[in-house]
Amino acid sequence: MADKKNQVSRRQFLNYTLTGVGGFMGAAMIAPMVGFAVDPLLKGEKDTDYVYVMDVNEITNEPQRKTFQVDQVDGWYESKVDRTAWVYKDENDEILALSPVCTHLGCTVDWNSNQDFPNEFYCPCHDGRYDKNGVNIPGTPPTEPLHSYDFQIQDGKLMLGKAKARKGA
Amino acid sequence: MKYSSKDVVAYSKAKEYIDTAIIPLIPFSFEDEEMSSLSFQKDVIQIYVDQIERELKGRVFVIPEYYYLKQDKIAEEKERLQAFIDHIAKQPFKYIFLVTSDNKWRKVTKDMDIELIWIPGIKDGHLEQAETQQVIKSQVQEIQTLIMDSWNE
Ligand code: FES
Repeated sequence: MADKKNQVSRRQFLNYTLTGVGGFMGAAMIAPMVGFAVDPLLKGEKDTDYVYVMDVNEITNEPQRKTFQVDQVDGWYESKVDRTAWVYKDENDEILALSPVCTHLGCTVDWNSNQDFPNEFYCPCHDGRYDKNGVNIPGTPPTEPLHSYDFQIQDGKLMLGKAKARKGA
Repeated sequence: MKYSSKDVVAYSKAKEYIDTAIIPLIPFSFEDEEMSSLSFQKDVIQIYVDQIERELKGRVFVIPEYYYLKQDKIAEEKERLQAFIDHIAKQPFKYIFLVTSDNKWRKVTKDMDIELIWIPGIKDGHLEQAETQQVIKSQVQEIQTLIMDSWNE
């Protein structure tokens, strides 16, 4: 008798197999749907999109504020959003394009806007400060440098990509 | 900050830095004559508020809109609004700004401990025009300065 219990009858076997396959098919069908549903959330900005911002020969040593538009997929909505960059050449004549988003809590920083702190990026929200290279000044709330945009130069035109956190400092 | 699941996480962690609340006051109605202008006003206010939020995100919290029927008695509305404000002030928010283009609020809010930011109505349907956008930009700048000035007082 004990033997019989452990045996899988033909019908049971078929049953198992069918549920197995059914389950498997179900999974296959659900997977793409989940894919659709989750996809927009995962997409964000594409890493490869570069947008023209200004001509390279217009770039000075003084940071200039430039606004440009990017396609952004924000959750369910795809829209054009404005981005701002502070564009300039540093002391080594390297191009820098900094994001104005304060690394503390996200207010918009301004260049040279506070008389008490000339030649710095200044955040009006909690007196956050960054030196000309966008590196946060210790003792002020921000904990990391301003992010910088990836960029490419094509035929003398400066194209900006995504803003990324910088190492160092 | 906004009342969104992402921002409230940041808010709870950094409450002491976010001491300023903005409450948009938005009237609505289904009367034929009013519907289009009121809905347009609502769009305009949302643009202003979004712009301000973007610039001052780290210190300003945009509260969910306060909606009311255009024909409601303003005296009754005042009580409800006061309760709304009291609740918000407790979080605490030190600075509370109401943003509206409904001029009924001007008198009513005089004796309240808040600041009313008045946004003049823009003519219907001109939001895409470069000129209008310029006007909005410069007004947003002014409102921003007003908020920042109150911080420095
Ligand atoms: S958000 Fe810039 S210092 Fe706090």
